[in-house]
Amino acid sequence: MAALEQQPLLTDGHRRDGRAYEEFRNVFLKTGVISQASGSAYAEFNNTKVMVGVYGPRQSERKVGYSEQGRISVDVKLATFATRQRGMFGQTPEERELSALLATALEAATNLASFPKATADVYVLVLEAGGGELGVAATAAALALADAGIEMFDLVTACSVSRAEGALLLDPTVDEAAREEAGLTLALMPACSEVTQLVSRGPWTSSALREAMELAMGGCAQLDALARQVLKTAAAEAAARRQQEQQQLQQAQ
Amino acid sequence: MAAAAAAGQVDADTFRRLYPDDYLRKFVEQGLRPDGRPLAAARPTSIGLGAVSTTDASALVKVGSTTALAGVKCEVVPALPEAPDAGRLVVQVEMAPLCSATTRPGRPSEGAQVLTEQLSALLGSVVDARQLCIDAGKVAWAVYVDIYVLDADGSLHDACLLAALAALSSLRLRAVSIDESGRVQTGAAAAAAQQQQQGERPAGQQERRLALSCQPVSLTCGLYRGRLLADPTAEEEPLLEAQATATLDESGAVLGFAAGGTAAVGQIVVVQCLEAAKMRGKEVRAMLQQALEQAGLAADADAS
Repeated sequence: MAALEQQPLLTDGHRRDGRAYEEFRNVFLKTGVISQASGSAYAEFNNTKVMVGVYGPRQSERKVGYSEQGRISVDVKLATFATRQRGMFGQTPEERELSALLATALEAATNLASFPKATADVYVLVLEAGGGELGVAATAAALALADAGIEMFDLVTACSVSRAEGALLLDPTVDEAAREEAGLTLALMPACSEVTQLVSRGPWTSSALREAMELAMGGCAQLDALARQVLKTAAAEAAARRQQEQQQLQQAQ
Repeated sequence: MAAAAAAGQVDADTFRRLYPDDYLRKFVEQGLRPDGRPLAAARPTSIGLGAVSTTDASALVKVGSTTALAGVKCEVVPALPEAPDAGRLVVQVEMAPLCSATTRPGRPSEGAQVLTEQLSALLGSVVDARQLCIDAGKVAWAVYVDIYVLDADGSLHDACLLAALAALSSLRLRAVSIDESGRVQTGAAAAAAQQQQQGERPAGQQERRLALSCQPVSLTCGLYRGRLLADPTAEEEPLLEAQATATLDESGAVLGFAAGGTAAVGQIVVVQCLEAAKMRGKEVRAMLQQALEQAGLAADADAS
């Protein structure tokens, strides 16, 4: 183990997992994974696996003050076995922070006026934390909101960039993020090019930060193309299913 | 709306939401279920092993839409003074807030607590805790089996038990070594340390599989208007008059039977339920065996 920790992250232009610096892990997105939910999505970036269920808009469980606008309530949990060290069942401060960050990333993209006084509950469960959970969760949560049929101004996609060993790395793994000198996570509404969230860690020079942001925005645009494809495929499948059912019904009659 | 329904003017989906009981009754009278199954059939089932790489063993089980993910993590812990020659098996069922419209974040739901108690008792009798001892009176394995319900579409006990059983069946306890100063190493480092210590008294253990005394499989059945529905969905469950879960091992011995509801469960129903559970057990064990073989984790000849 100690030997691996001392080895460099980067060797002749490649990372430990064989990726180029500006390459994503293998991305898999899917909607409609939870039968009980209004909308749901599953996202897998190699070893980062996140599941999101959206319920509502519905009456809020907690007592919150009157609001003309709708609310988004986000709850993020890591499964106890998601990390190398076993976690606990209760919510940790880190998970609460993740929840708050995710809420701000999604709120800007959601038409809150379309469900006044009601709450859309966004429940996130991280099944395995392989790095970049915030970005993966935001991408999956936006897909789940769209799957739930909640009005949105745009999808949200998000990804992280780490600066390590003098290079900017897109979509860092947990090992890379642990050894980063600085890092950022950026959430973007890709169609209107508006950033809904930017979290940076560590020291950045302004020029390096700009470069990293550009890289992250490019990454978000890539994810967006994929996310839209997933939504289109799901819609086409649903339409085909409906048509088939209607045909069967007509035949029966 | 009721008049419209009586006149057959609402579409099937509206009728389903407004009159769930009538909707189900119309199917059951024809000997079918809303999802197209016969009354006594369980839903299509799949077992995926090793879904989560941060665990020592994991299994994702789907029974229809009901989804349970079990992850096993093993830790070396000091042995308890009251049980110096045994380790610990800790089972916990968590209904993740995303699994259904009624589960909310915060304290564990009643359903999850009941499942935790039932599965703890059951798996505690299947895994002899003494095999988890590493060095008597000093260190032992704590095996944490955490089961997350990801989609609660009925008959959760069956899916959770199968996920736990599949994960435990594929579990390999890592090699352990203990040096003179009492430092404990596991995994590859332990195997290397044991190589070096050849000749000396071997402290620690090789990698090994967990011995399970039997393979418990359960089936939930519901009583609806005098008929038995196997493996009910979340839509059917609230309409049932009574519900029973039977757990049997491969020899047909009953390891657990839990029934409840508004109607009394007669002897005939109990017998039917046990019979159905026995059949289901055979089917599920074959599936598990196949999944283990595919993953190259099937029980070795010495274990069978």
